[in-house]
Amino acid sequence: MNQTDRPIANSIVVLREEFDDWAVLFNSDTADAVGTNPVGVAVWKLMNGKRSIEDIVSQIRKSFGDVPEAVSKEICTFVNTLADNGFVGLALESK
Amino acid sequence: MPQKLKDKTGPAVSRVMRTPRSVTVEITARCNLRCRYCYFFNNPVVEYRDLPADEWLKFFDELGSLGVMEVILAGGEPFIREDLRLLIDGIVRNRMRFAFLSNGGLISDETATFLAGTGRCDYVQVSVDGSCAEVHDSCRGKGSFDAAIRGIRTLQRHGVGVAVRATIHRSNVHDLENIAHFLLDELGLPDFGTNAAGYMGSCRGNADDVLLNIVERKEAMATLLRLAAKYDGRISANAGPLADGRMWHRMEEARTQNAPAFNNGGHLTACGCTYSKIAVRADGVIIPCSMLAHLELGRINHDSLAEIWNNSPVLNQLRNRHTIPLSGFEFCAGCSYIPYCTGNCPGLAYALTGIVDHPSPDACLRRFLKEGGTIE
Repeated sequence: MNQTDRPIANSIVVLREEFDDWAVLFNSDTADAVGTNPVGVAVWKLMNGKRSIEDIVSQIRKSFGDVPEAVSKEICTFVNTLADNGFVGLALESK
Repeated sequence: MPQKLKDKTGPAVSRVMRTPRSVTVEITARCNLRCRYCYFFNNPVVEYRDLPADEWLKFFDELGSLGVMEVILAGGEPFIREDLRLLIDGIVRNRMRFAFLSNGGLISDETATFLAGTGRCDYVQVSVDGSCAEVHDSCRGKGSFDAAIRGIRTLQRHGVGVAVRATIHRSNVHDLENIAHFLLDELGLPDFGTNAAGYMGSCRGNADDVLLNIVERKEAMATLLRLAAKYDGRISANAGPLADGRMWHRMEEARTQNAPAFNNGGHLTACGCTYSKIAVRADGVIIPCSMLAHLELGRINHDSLAEIWNNSPVLNQLRNRHTIPLSGFEFCAGCSYIPYCTGNCPGLAYALTGIVDHPSPDACLRRFLKEGGTIE
């Protein structure tokens, strides 16, 4: 089965919305944690293996005001960082 | 957008998290030892009974739903529970990590294999109070030293993280150099922590035999400061002679230089645990901290932890201690250290004065100096 370009959140990772704008993604298997802002939280919640990065960027543009041009690149970097740390994988093609 | 956290257990915070990051669970009221200074036993407000596993498992489900990151299993002696694996399975299933506070004496190869196999055990903290059986066993009972060291070596053999805590008291204050050598050079631990026996629980009945007097406290501070320098960061302390020694040196230096107040000075700013942690007694009563076991906030599986965490008047009062100025206490009247003082542990303050919102007399630099102590 081939991988798609659709990121999917690792189900072992816990999203903790801690206070104000601050949230933490915590991988209980590795004890790694990544802090993030509300956009990162929204991106995290959209990574269900059914949306591509482009779909996610599009959704973020709809959900947040004054989204800068660079948001697409920033989201790619964010997802890649999460993938490098085992927080995110790529969904497999369904038959 | 993202920011990698420097500290996996979380930075110091000045605001309350939506849910606790860490929960200390006194998983049992039973223990194989009866240490003379134990803070847990002989507390008249505590009901010493164990809950069945299904109560804890239900509670762990609640912790998982709140995104709690770590459960600290304490007691009593947590390894005394026959159903411990079942309980740990419940923690793991709920995407949490765990750690233990233990005397080390009941850790078998099978237990260590199981802990290693979960991949979720942050550490097992084992108490070691002496470099040999004669010193260690003086407060903890015959055979406890050999059992603790056997437990540590078993954990090491299976690759489970070991943290050692040495509690300083009258019987080991002259053994500190040997303890450091034994733990760091012979056992090969990367580091160890220290604290001191406090006037709580069983210690109240043995205080004269256990608690350091001024001369011994001076000796402990000087020795630990020297050893901490010698071993370069491998000896730590959040309380006890080493922590006091470090803090009091800073306070004295600031006072003599007429330095501005410390950021956390002048008010009851200690401690910050209630911003990110909470605890549960063995009988299921939710409390702010094991040192404040009389402050009953609710009961697991009867009261919502999230509701308690966010709305408990008792918890919020503790969190607001930082607004109480030390200058308002008669105990602190005229003290030149006020701008640099935090009032220290509310649990010890309560144990010594009967008042939670009070500076801890045990951590008072002025009192220490007045009674003959020195800062060298």
